[in-house]
Amino acid sequence: MIQYLCLICNCVEQMLDGGEVTVEESKCLQANAFIQAEIFQEFTLKEDVVGFQVNLTVLLDCLTIFGGSTVPGVSTALRMCYNGYGYPLTLFLEEGGVVTVCKINTQEPEEPLDFDFCSTNVTNKVILQSDSLKEAFSELDMTSEILQLTMSPSHPYFRLSTFGNSGNAHYDYPKDSDMMELFQCTKTQTNRYKMSLLKPSTKALALSCKVSVRTDTRGFLSLQYLVRNDDGQICFVEYYCCPDEEVDEE
Amino acid sequence: MKFRAKINDVGCLNHFTRVVNTITKLTKTCVVRLTVDNIFFILSGKVANGGVSMWCELLQVNFFDEYQLEGVSEDANEICLEVNPENLSRALKTAQNAKSVKIKLTKKHCPCLTLAAELPSLSSISRIVTHDIPVDVIPRRLWHDFKEPSMPDFDVSIYLPPLKTMKSVVDRMKNLSNYLVVEANLSGEMNLKIETDLVSVTTHFKDLGNPPWGASQSQSQSRDVEAMAHARVDIRKLQQFLMGQQVNPTKSMCNIVDKRIIHLILLQEDVSLQYFIPAVV
Amino acid sequence: MDCVATGGNVKVLAKAIHSLSRIGEELYLEPTEDGLTLRAVNSSRSAFACFLMSPLFFQRYQAPPDHAFRCKMPIKSVQTVFRSLSSLERSVEKCRIEMNTEKCRLRITLHCKHGLLKTHNLSFQDCENLQAVFDKDNCPNVLRAQPRLWVDTVLHFPPSLEEVSVSVSSDRVWLRNHVEDDADSSKAMMTELCLSSEEFDHFAIGTQTTITFCLKELRGLLVFAETAGLPVSMYFDEPGSPVVLNVTDSVLEANFVLATLSEEAHQRNHNNNKADGPQTELPPDDFMCDDIDSYLIAMETSDLAGPSYEPPPQTSSTNRKSRLISEEEDEEVEEDSEERPPNKKFCSLFFGSVLPASPQPSNQTIQSQEVLASDSEDERPSE
Repeated sequence: MIQYLCLICNCVEQMLDGGEVTVEESKCLQANAFIQAEIFQEFTLKEDVVGFQVNLTVLLDCLTIFGGSTVPGVSTALRMCYNGYGYPLTLFLEEGGVVTVCKINTQEPEEPLDFDFCSTNVTNKVILQSDSLKEAFSELDMTSEILQLTMSPSHPYFRLSTFGNSGNAHYDYPKDSDMMELFQCTKTQTNRYKMSLLKPSTKALALSCKVSVRTDTRGFLSLQYLVRNDDGQICFVEYYCCPDEEVDEE
Repeated sequence: MKFRAKINDVGCLNHFTRVVNTITKLTKTCVVRLTVDNIFFILSGKVANGGVSMWCELLQVNFFDEYQLEGVSEDANEICLEVNPENLSRALKTAQNAKSVKIKLTKKHCPCLTLAAELPSLSSISRIVTHDIPVDVIPRRLWHDFKEPSMPDFDVSIYLPPLKTMKSVVDRMKNLSNYLVVEANLSGEMNLKIETDLVSVTTHFKDLGNPPWGASQSQSQSRDVEAMAHARVDIRKLQQFLMGQQVNPTKSMCNIVDKRIIHLILLQEDVSLQYFIPAVV
Repeated sequence: MDCVATGGNVKVLAKAIHSLSRIGEELYLEPTEDGLTLRAVNSSRSAFACFLMSPLFFQRYQAPPDHAFRCKMPIKSVQTVFRSLSSLERSVEKCRIEMNTEKCRLRITLHCKHGLLKTHNLSFQDCENLQAVFDKDNCPNVLRAQPRLWVDTVLHFPPSLEEVSVSVSSDRVWLRNHVEDDADSSKAMMTELCLSSEEFDHFAIGTQTTITFCLKELRGLLVFAETAGLPVSMYFDEPGSPVVLNVTDSVLEANFVLATLSEEAHQRNHNNNKADGPQTELPPDDFMCDDIDSYLIAMETSDLAGPSYEPPPQTSSTNRKSRLISEEEDEEVEEDSEERPPNKKFCSLFFGSVLPASPQPSNQTIQSQEVLASDSEDERPSE
């Protein structure tokens, strides 16, 4: 029994605005969105697992064909069908008696990267309210090629650092801040991640209410954004990112 | 040759501003034709603007409290000016709270439409803002380009769905394709379609109704009511038309000449706007 | 230096920096006993802006022991610190600015709600003294108004407009857009706004005149004045002399000094665009005299239709100069000369006076400074 529909967003290029990122780099980052089946009123799956690849921007344009329904009381109904390998993903959207039919061509899915991020190997973990990170991410010095993340059981606890053209900046979150919902750091760890890889995750950040930040023994980063929709249902958007380079631990 | 008009009423000023803003969204430059009863904003279908043409007509008496016109001559009591509507729009924007706005044809460093607005101030003396908008006076021998376009002999005429819905659909389709097919039949159905390598999208509108045009619709009388007439158009031109809409039309309709042209008409009590988009192969 | 600003003053500081960013690329910082001075100058040195935040502006203020200390840094990097005004207002409780002269680092720390601490370490360079030559107190013309009036006035002009002309009579002010006298000018929309003296808080006109200056910097100051809710005063003299825009309250003062177009240049433009002189009263309702039959006739009969004014004689740009510029000083700004755009009509205001930040500047240079810079607030601290 499959509980979740997993839209495998291998289309990292689209998420990274304009496909500037090479394949090489995209292998350093993976984004997944887990949508609970309960979000759909009806959910039928005839096989165990179905996987296919579609162009994400096209999917988004199709889903918002009626403008994303900002008018209260007007909502768009959606029916999504996939007949199997080789068939297009078909969307039926209806709003106020107007029907749109979209047929999005599908491709064979690429083998998803396995980041092998295992919870038993997690060294440090914090859960923050997203608001506090949103501000930091909107202010990040984009002339810095990397974002350095320090997590530590002692000062500075949770620190974001940038090293840009005009100097450096550190954002420190104390462990007893009321924005900090969970603080489980066992070991001081400092890792650098490519800014260009992390910046796109701010889109998910903007929608989310909480974010979990974890690093494992290898310095791999997992960001899990909890997104709650208007009906109180939740979904997760998850980013994995590998570290840019080794940094001597202090 | 004289022209002078004055608006005292804020409602009329806003209404006029909306019309001008709509024109501004549709074209960089247009011809303003002033007659005793009407003001026209005209764009004639030149290749340079993608063959699109526009005809906007308003009744001066519904907008202006004073209106004086002396045309080129007694037998041609009209004035034709080429204007950048953006300038007019900007001038009207700064006159939003005006107590009164005067528009007149003047002779400054070049022929100008001068718009003078009396604005409220912190003192007993009003602020006066004056905008001199350069215009080209179009000589009479060129006037024939600016006659009302004749109604094309269309295959299907249909009422348009709410323009807002149509706009969001066309906006998204524009992200996916450069061309869009508009098709409609005499049973009140209209489809907007795009098709690319990645995706095909069709939006179906129904129960729109077909305007009764009377005896003039010779072609469409014998037509199969289910048969679609269609035209493939540059999606940007249609988007431009939908984007510009600041007037709330009481009636909006579309005439399609199969594979040749779409003719969009917006009607309000005292304003009408017609917009022609040629079909592409 | 070590100073701390709190509450609303953090936002005032941020707005001052945003205002300065409209002027130049670099922020010149000089902490003295009189307060913290923030300055900027544009690349052609025709606009200069200076904010002085007095020690009372801060909760704590410690000037460095070395009086001659000055530095500059890219204004963008400082703007980054204060980027989001809404978040400043919402979350910043305290802003501390420390200067570490040994490491050439300026440290700005923002203490925010929920214990969040933002620390920015910005590198800086030593720099020359930056001081404009102006004397607002001897200007014959002064206009002072609430920021709202200035904002409403400026709104009538398009954001793309670079220069505006201000004409004054004993009881009126006219603003009109200034258009370069090239081929395109005939197609430009001309806008004129007339205000009565009654709308101003203070209106003193000693000489009826018309000056032309850049609008961008005025807009920049208005960004600040509107937030601070402080009236803006405009001090000016004849064309060619700088116009000074001033905002003052008990704990801060801002002066924006802008070059104006010299008389000849202005006159040229004026001839082209307006037949009536700046001092003429409101134009009468001239419906009867503005018929344009003559144009139409010209167009119908001749291909050479066009406005019939005589092109005014060209004046060489070298003839137009500001009375304030002195040549020896000009030489001293050579380090900037590469990035300076051709100085077509506005002249450098300044001074430029490049004093290396040495502890003992030569007496002679000091002397020339004092002669030129007569506004006391902006004098370099004397030894």
